[in-house]
Amino acid sequence: MNNMKYVGKETPRIDALPKATGTIKYMSDLVFPEMLYARILRSKYPHAKILKIDSSKAKALPGVVAVVTHEDVPGVNGFGIVVPDMPVLCKDKVRYIGDTVAAVAAESEEIAERALSLIDVEYEPLPLVEDPEKALLENSPKVHENGNIHLHTEIKRGDPSEALKKADLLVEHTFYTGRQEHAFLETEGGVAFIGADGNLNVYAGSQYPQRDQLQLARCLSINPRKIRVVSYPVGGAFGGKDELTIQPIIGLLALKTKRPVKITLSREESIISYWKRHPYILKYKVGFKKDGTLVVVDATLIEDKGAYSSLGGPVLNLAVEHACGPYRVDNVHIDGYAVFTNNGVAGACRGFGAPQTSFAIETIFDIAAEKLGIDPIALRKKNALRNGDLTPIGNKLTTSIGTIKVLESIEKSALWKNRNKLKLADPKKQWLKRGVGIALTYQGTGLGVGLPDYGGAILSMDEDGGFTVGVGTVDYGQGIGTSYAQFVAETMHCPIEKIKVILGDSLLSADSGPTSASRGVYTGGKASVIAASKMKEELLSKASRVMSLPCESLEFGNECLLEKNKPNHYISFKSLADKFIEEENKLPMTEGYFLVPTAEIKIEKAEGLPHHIFAFSAHLAYVEVNTLTGEVRVIEGAEAVDGGVVVNRQGYEAQVEGGFVMGMGYGLMEDLIIKNGIVKNPNFSTYIIPSIKDAPYNIETIPVVNPEDTGPFCAKGIAETVMVATAPAITNAIHDAVGVRLFKIPATPEAVYMAMKRKAID
Amino acid sequence: MKEVKINFKLNDRDYKLTVPTNTTLLQIIRDQLGLTGTKEGCGKGECGACTVLFNSVIVTSCLVLAPQVDGAEVLTIEGIGTLQNPHPIQKAFVEEGAVQCGFCTPGFVVSAYSLLSKNSHPTEEEIREGLSGNLCRCTGYIKIIKAVKKASKEMQ
Repeated sequence: MNNMKYVGKETPRIDALPKATGTIKYMSDLVFPEMLYARILRSKYPHAKILKIDSSKAKALPGVVAVVTHEDVPGVNGFGIVVPDMPVLCKDKVRYIGDTVAAVAAESEEIAERALSLIDVEYEPLPLVEDPEKALLENSPKVHENGNIHLHTEIKRGDPSEALKKADLLVEHTFYTGRQEHAFLETEGGVAFIGADGNLNVYAGSQYPQRDQLQLARCLSINPRKIRVVSYPVGGAFGGKDELTIQPIIGLLALKTKRPVKITLSREESIISYWKRHPYILKYKVGFKKDGTLVVVDATLIEDKGAYSSLGGPVLNLAVEHACGPYRVDNVHIDGYAVFTNNGVAGACRGFGAPQTSFAIETIFDIAAEKLGIDPIALRKKNALRNGDLTPIGNKLTTSIGTIKVLESIEKSALWKNRNKLKLADPKKQWLKRGVGIALTYQGTGLGVGLPDYGGAILSMDEDGGFTVGVGTVDYGQGIGTSYAQFVAETMHCPIEKIKVILGDSLLSADSGPTSASRGVYTGGKASVIAASKMKEELLSKASRVMSLPCESLEFGNECLLEKNKPNHYISFKSLADKFIEEENKLPMTEGYFLVPTAEIKIEKAEGLPHHIFAFSAHLAYVEVNTLTGEVRVIEGAEAVDGGVVVNRQGYEAQVEGGFVMGMGYGLMEDLIIKNGIVKNPNFSTYIIPSIKDAPYNIETIPVVNPEDTGPFCAKGIAETVMVATAPAITNAIHDAVGVRLFKIPATPEAVYMAMKRKAID
Repeated sequence: MKEVKINFKLNDRDYKLTVPTNTTLLQIIRDQLGLTGTKEGCGKGECGACTVLFNSVIVTSCLVLAPQVDGAEVLTIEGIGTLQNPHPIQKAFVEEGAVQCGFCTPGFVVSAYSLLSKNSHPTEEEIREGLSGNLCRCTGYIKIIKAVKKASKEMQ
């Protein structure tokens, strides 16, 4: 990569200055003439029958332009990426406290708010389904008619029960993980309006405009071609804007009123109403030989799905796939259940099932290392998956596998090498104890087998000789737009300043699949490179004609095509652009499409499994535990990450640092508490995310180069793996510091304190 | 709703407005003046996305009511620097990679501006204290701290 001008070079984000000056317009900043404001009436009960909805008083309120209920939904009254079971507007039943019952469009937010209080809804409360384990029982009340099991995925290899009997060391524990809120800073919101062409425009934060277009078409009963979805820039998403949120409501209200309709959710409404990370109960039995060989993993995973499907099934399957960690094991039984409850709704969230299982398996590896007297890195190396191995679910690894490389890199880090010295806390403060913990993880890049998984890019030449690339994925902070610009600049020999990027626009950018599954750089990037290669052919043939030279005698130079060995005989891209306009009256446009390679086998009854391409990361946390209060401070962190290659060092570090701190929140503080179906901490003063004062002093990013031949310039995706194993690295560090194990995250001060107290009593 | 007449200075321009008394400064900035660089992240003074300088003190503008704005001097992100002429803090945020989704960025820039105008050489702890009212979910804060350190050097 040394001879490259843009790829692999530290490149500031192309949209950083418009963001830092506040000049860029987010969807929630848009204002249109004659715009109305929408508000949503949400369910008063977490589980109830709707007996009657009377909106006549609300409709009569001056300033109210429309009130809609289920009767107004023209198409399918349901959406959902996998199963469209979430009503746009509930008809006869509500299943969680944020369920949508009615919506109002009015001349002002205040009037819309007041109108909500005038809508009469009669409910008959139903028994709650709160505990996912009890929900599995036959006599449990049901959230959906077909029962509470949304998905059951079971994978069995080898002879796990026999292997459990024979194992020298059996580690058996039940783990619990919290319900994490994405906490993107921009809540769900946007504007819908009917354009001059009669088409419906929906400008709202999202992760996949083309899928929104199809889902909206179904709900609103209009041709998807008559819907345009625009979703860039977005103030954070992390998976929480992958599924639809407010789009069907504002779409419906815009159609009904023929005026622009805007909504911006309050923070409370955002937290209560939409997708979260699924809480899990994870029951593990893991067997090792004396020499540290992992021989068996038997795990039951119970996912609290909440009220509607969304991506809960695929999340469960990814959890099942990643349940054994990136380790070789021949005797496997993973039994996973995604269970409906009335506990809000959950869906995609950075890591997608892997953070839950990573907490369990990486804690177990730490326990095993301790009990067997083996160095924790050595134990992981011994069992780590390598190229050519079968994964725990039985597919052969044939792509770039970085387990050993990331472990070797983290082993050389200052944090690991000096860990014994670092453990020594201030001798004057005996109540403070320090420790270092490690965890290893991996994460599939892309959607896996059986799902349409492709990248798409449209590339057009601009009048100034620069280029515009349009990719449907959305940059909600990861930096993919900058990566695409780097790829195009590199391939086209064009300065990056002359590359424009259009993201997240169903009209102007090519369908490139969802911006999820760590696939943005990989899919959209590869498609951009393909489109650029085609563009080069167009330019080459034009230059050959203009210069009356055969193509073979021409080569690309900086912003030009030149005759080989005659650097003074060239035609600039600008002159070529002029020629295109002069001769063809248009500038060239090319498209690139790329089908993501998949594994050779398919895992029966487990949609999406297996994945084929993986990113790997080893995480270190250096913590200080206050033994008087149970408070844990993360002093430093480090991650060795195999993302194939580094496309942009600055963006790479940004993902690692942000992922680490989000993982820190998951491990130490974040859990959305739902009791009796009611959210107890729906704001940032009660649901605490890490602040700048909690951030570690340093998070070392150690990039591990491990080229993935199928990726753009050999890159993979790192967006998720960087946060996945941070929580277990921290809880393992807590153990290193004070000798207690945490089996539940978040490891709040209370939990750490109680664990220390129990240990003292024992 | 009762209305109130207010006179105030914002980004060095004088404004006269008549607004309902329950209007927040954030609403005045975004809805009345159309300056959308100041963001709403929570509406409760918890996230800092709406931070502005109010009589030389940083406030969450979602918690300031219209009558309090009368006679005040306000500085928003738009008054700190522009695309053509960014402030050294804004340049440092760009160069250090302290911007990701960018929604929290204007609030951080305003807090950093206030900090550096009072303390041109803040220590790391002082930076953390000075920006502790702003939440960010993307960056992990490390690059934001680096950006403020860099800006502090550049502004010498």
